[in-house]
Amino acid sequence: MDHSKQIQDIASKLFAENKIDYFVGYRQNAIDDSQVPYLISDPAEIPRLVFTDRSVFNLANYLKPEHTRRKRVGLVVKGCDSRALNLMLTESQVKRENVYIIGICCEGVLNEKGEKAQNCIECVMPDAVVYDEMIGTPTGKREYIVNADIKELATIALEKRADYFEDIFSNCIRCNACRHSCPLCYCAKCCIDQETSTLYHGANTSSGAMHALMTWSLHLAGRCVDCRNCEKACPSHLPLHLLHKQNESVIYENFQQHLAGMEKDDRGAFYKYSLSDPDDFIL
Amino acid sequence: METEVKEAQGKIISAENPDIVAPADWQPVIMGILCNWCSYAGSDLTGTSRIQYPPNIRIIRVPCSSRVDPWFIIKSLQTTADGVLISGCHPGDCHYISGNYFARRRFLVTKKLLNFVGYHENRVQFSWVSAAEGPKFAKVVAKVTEDIKKLGPLHRYKKENF
Ligand code: SF4
Ligand code: SF4
Ligand code: SF4
Repeated sequence: MDHSKQIQDIASKLFAENKIDYFVGYRQNAIDDSQVPYLISDPAEIPRLVFTDRSVFNLANYLKPEHTRRKRVGLVVKGCDSRALNLMLTESQVKRENVYIIGICCEGVLNEKGEKAQNCIECVMPDAVVYDEMIGTPTGKREYIVNADIKELATIALEKRADYFEDIFSNCIRCNACRHSCPLCYCAKCCIDQETSTLYHGANTSSGAMHALMTWSLHLAGRCVDCRNCEKACPSHLPLHLLHKQNESVIYENFQQHLAGMEKDDRGAFYKYSLSDPDDFIL
Repeated sequence: METEVKEAQGKIISAENPDIVAPADWQPVIMGILCNWCSYAGSDLTGTSRIQYPPNIRIIRVPCSSRVDPWFIIKSLQTTADGVLISGCHPGDCHYISGNYFARRRFLVTKKLLNFVGYHENRVQFSWVSAAEGPKFAKVVAKVTEDIKKLGPLHRYKKENF
């Protein structure tokens, strides 16, 4: 999967026709073969744009900062990224006419070890769901698979699982990189953020981390699209997908097979209800 | 995901952490979060009808069960509470028409996630109690207290200073 040439062509066309102010893509990292997000406003920088199976980040996150919010932006999205973008459009965070979306029919990206990433193996929608221009051949929606790590953890005893998670939460340094790197966490006053919090006092302890991360994952339940931008941003390599995938699987199973951002104008699972939602756990 | 609840020689062993034991006369603290229009009025009726219920519950009143952000539950469990009971209006009776339908979805996911990271599933319980159901409220509190007594003290993820 190498779409660098097509993306460069589209970007030059957009700048030439004055359709965008910024373009967000990827460029090669100078120190190794990984890539980094690349935000440009000058057409002279277009030759540095690339797109391969190392283009792992979710660029929809770059529509959040103040300097891109009210500007016209062109960006590249894979299947999962486009679902996040779809939700941002639904939740009125981005104006459709302000973005020019290059949708990729994704063949999966690689993790640090050079293997196909777990979320790509389990991906339900590799093609972009919202786009102005599509690159690649669509392969369509796939069947939902319950995450392998979740299935494995569900089989171990409660005390062991508690030990395991206590260990995980104790590694968190409360930097909030996870919350800042998620395209769907755009609240200006976030309830878990140490600096802006009104509710939660972000002490750097494992119970503080547990409180914050659990709250955070429940704010994203029914909205998380499993792009794993948060996990890639985490300096302590916490397996944050465990929390999100657990919520996603409960939601998929119980709430009409809801998957976030798949349809236009489809809100998160917690913004709607059905009269037949499960009730048997309530006394 | 059910784990066995252990009791040994007149001592209560914590369900999540077998190293923690408490004397047999240990009393749990239960945080009760009740909606203003049904369950809080229901608990009031229990009191005015002179129906006995366990004194372990500490009640907080909220406008609606959908006012309960999951972090209320987590914060309760991290501070003093050994268990949490959340109660609202029956489906269809919500004062704000649909608040409890939204809450119901959130509660299911919260309950499963808490169990996933290592809380026994009976630590957090939910009920629908209407303003006319005084006896039901007493029964619910008795059941939840009984369940949590069996689970023993909660020591996971506790905050030392709060
Ligand atoms: S964690 Fe919650 S409050 Fe914070 S930005 Fe995300 S959704 Fe908003
Ligand atoms: S929580 Fe993580 S995986 Fe989910 S949408 Fe946000 S960045 Fe992506
Ligand atoms: S990015 Fe990682 S270390 Fe930082 S707050 Fe999130 S989970 Fe904790």
